[in-house]
Amino acid sequence: MTSTDETDERDLLGHVLLPVAHEDDALATARALEPYDPERVTALHVVEKGEGVPDKTPVEQSEELAAESYAAVRTVFPDADEHTAYARDIADAIFDAVDEVDATAIAYQSRGGNRLVQFLSGDLSMKLVTKSHVPVIALPREGSTE
Amino acid sequence: MSEEELAKDLGLVSAMTIGIGTMIGAGIFVLPGVAVNADGGAGPIVVVSFIVGGVIAMVNALSVSELGTAMPKAGGGYYYINKSLGPMFGSIAGMGDWMGLAFASAFYSIGFGQYLAVFVDLPTIPGLNAIQVGALVAGSIFIGVNYIGAKETGGIQTVIVGLLLSILAIFSVAGFFSFDYATLAGNEGGLAPGGYGAILPGTALVFVSFLGYAKIATVAEELKNPGRNLPIAIIGSVAIVTVIYAILVTTMLGVVPWPELSQDAPVAQAAQVAFPESIGPITGVAGAAAAVMTVGALLATASSANASILASARINFAMGRDKIVTNWLNEIHPNYATPYRSILVTGGLIVVFIALLGQDIEILSKAASVLHLIVYALMNVGLIVFREADTPEYDPDFTVPLYPITPILGAVLSLGLVAFMDGIEIALSGAFVVAAVAWYFLYARDKTDQQGVLSEFIRSREGELPDQVVGAADAVAPTGTGAENEGPTIMVAVSNPRTESALITLAGALAQHEGGRVLATHIVTVPDQTSLETAAENRTGLDQSSEELLAEAAADAEAFDVPIETKTILSHRGIEEVFDAARTNDADTVVMGYGGTRFAGGRVEGSLDELTHDLPCDFLVLDGQRLDLSDVLVPTAGGPSSDLSAEVARALRDTLGVDVSLLYVADSGEEESGREFLAGWAGGHGLADADLRVETGDVEETIGRVGGEYSLVIVGATERGLLSRIVRGSLAFETIENLDTPVLLSERPSARSLWERLFGGR
Repeated sequence: MTSTDETDERDLLGHVLLPVAHEDDALATARALEPYDPERVTALHVVEKGEGVPDKTPVEQSEELAAESYAAVRTVFPDADEHTAYARDIADAIFDAVDEVDATAIAYQSRGGNRLVQFLSGDLSMKLVTKSHVPVIALPREGSTE
Repeated sequence: MSEEELAKDLGLVSAMTIGIGTMIGAGIFVLPGVAVNADGGAGPIVVVSFIVGGVIAMVNALSVSELGTAMPKAGGGYYYINKSLGPMFGSIAGMGDWMGLAFASAFYSIGFGQYLAVFVDLPTIPGLNAIQVGALVAGSIFIGVNYIGAKETGGIQTVIVGLLLSILAIFSVAGFFSFDYATLAGNEGGLAPGGYGAILPGTALVFVSFLGYAKIATVAEELKNPGRNLPIAIIGSVAIVTVIYAILVTTMLGVVPWPELSQDAPVAQAAQVAFPESIGPITGVAGAAAAVMTVGALLATASSANASILASARINFAMGRDKIVTNWLNEIHPNYATPYRSILVTGGLIVVFIALLGQDIEILSKAASVLHLIVYALMNVGLIVFREADTPEYDPDFTVPLYPITPILGAVLSLGLVAFMDGIEIALSGAFVVAAVAWYFLYARDKTDQQGVLSEFIRSREGELPDQVVGAADAVAPTGTGAENEGPTIMVAVSNPRTESALITLAGALAQHEGGRVLATHIVTVPDQTSLETAAENRTGLDQSSEELLAEAAADAEAFDVPIETKTILSHRGIEEVFDAARTNDADTVVMGYGGTRFAGGRVEGSLDELTHDLPCDFLVLDGQRLDLSDVLVPTAGGPSSDLSAEVARALRDTLGVDVSLLYVADSGEEESGREFLAGWAGGHGLADADLRVETGDVEETIGRVGGEYSLVIVGATERGLLSRIVRGSLAFETIENLDTPVLLSERPSARSLWERLFGGR
């Protein structure tokens, strides 16, 4: 693990971890990151596991979804790496992936939705920004007002 | 850990929990009251009905275990049947499983409504009784929970089932103390007032209480160590549940005289009687016990309904994968990551079933059972087909005892039990079966490319079986290819930039000629020490070379009017992966370089012989780097591989305007009959315009001598196993190897090898 004084020296966009959920989300997120010209990008898809109960979707389908998402990211960043994680808790899986691929920052785009929806599906944004040990970049949403 | 391993997170306890949690539901909480009073009163004999149900479930559980360990895939019963009996029966099984689950979920919802009515006064709506209203509310909640995908943790699920089992255990203990044999047997008519003939109709009614063990198989791909855990979980959960049911029903009937047993909420009623009104200073114990039982019933029915809705989405996914239903159904919700459309469609069916048929709980429960029993029967037949066809891919970790008695018994018992259902449920289920067959012929037949082991088996024995059987197999065979494109797939294994263009030219010419497509693959061999995951992560450099190679391939293919797809495959294996890729991509022909056959390196293993003796499709192996095609020579002596040579020659002639010459090497003095043979062969292979040459002498030497005059020589394997010998370098092909002219070796799997594959060793 990287100690904090080392991170001081690191370029924020040196190696961006890009969590993506599905094809459209991947494309939108990658496009939002594109103008900032990151040095290196690793696309991350977390396959949501039940850990004791069956998953919401068959593993095969989840992996298809991951592959489509990576392909979408590569249309913007052709050299993007990919990383697939399997976990019940998406935020924790993202933090683990940061260490595994040695990323300098997490870039994500909030998927919106009202409070109720965010509450029910687990408020990922809140968890990401409050618990991360690397900088978290909230990418602007297309069409949102200044 | 490989990704494969990471995706597996269900242990034995979780798997058992799924089975037990699904089975213990409305069946045991609602049906005992209905069953004992059925047909003028079956009486306490229904305990035997439950046990018989358990036995039938157990026989089927053994078969499901074998199939599940052989194919741990999402979809369960549907998947096995589609693989073995083909897509027509697959459609029946998929539809049967799906509708069966919808009926079962409607039944669970009604059960929920009945117990809910104990707690709250439910309103009635014209056309719907209070219980139906409760069921509709409950059903909508179950659907909503699945739609949003609100997660219950594995822990909670285990706790719910644990709680349920403890509640039932406490009830049994309390019931044991208030148990009175006179209550059980002392009613009019004794133990079997309706006679022993009431046992099987009783089983038909309560069998719905055993639906659930097969759900474990639908999530088999998520199980850790499925070879061990799957059979234990399936068989174990059936055994546990059967024992629980026998004890519970006996207890209920020993506490409450059967004619008085409630038809709506019998467990709550029995608890009220079984528990004393007060223990010491605490009063209201009996009422509290009844309330706890009611909560237990609500939990049990909710978890059953939840599991069933989830399982139906799995079946939809598996059907979509085989193109039996449209994949539109399986789209994943962008925010909730759930297969929301599938859940909504299933949910719609559940609501309709509750509203239209919910007045009579027997119809819902029996329709669910009939459809499941049809699927179980087909599954047993499928198991027999897999065993008899001796498919090499079929390698279960668990095998049923007493084969073939067990699967035959399973099929007979399943269909036999259907006979004890009432006309209306059989008619309803029959309608769904007919609808499934109609669906297959009107929609799925053109789309799916899945052929069952059965039809391969029948077609391979064409000569031995009556024409009607073969004709029937053809009549129902799928006509789709799965891909948009209807023609064959020509797979090219490119490995070297120097040979890439030559290989693509051959493949392109073939694909254009046959109206097919080209699939260019680059198989990258990764050392065993490197995990594929690591390799995939550090693939930047590798990607580049691979991409360049495949991009060149795509550019070369543009010269032909054919669709091309490219793929990079990371593998620990070399040539074996080519075979695998050919199988998984349904390739009809593989084109590869001679050098490519060598990349097996020093890792030639025993299995390789077997592999190359059992070609998945036609193989064309090119020895040479550049192709400058103007004329080709095809030496022939007949046989399946030279048929392939002729096809290639024809394709080159028609697409590239290449001149074709045929060569027959005859023994001296037999030139005339040789010429006759060659002329006949040329005519029979659409090469009547070819230049015919008959020479005498040693075959290899002649080919070597004459071949030098041409720009390509196409040699068909005269015996099986040519490829395996090239790979191992044991073939003395020096003359040809030393030839400057490029040589294309063709090998077509002979009919015999298919036969051998199906009947292997017997």
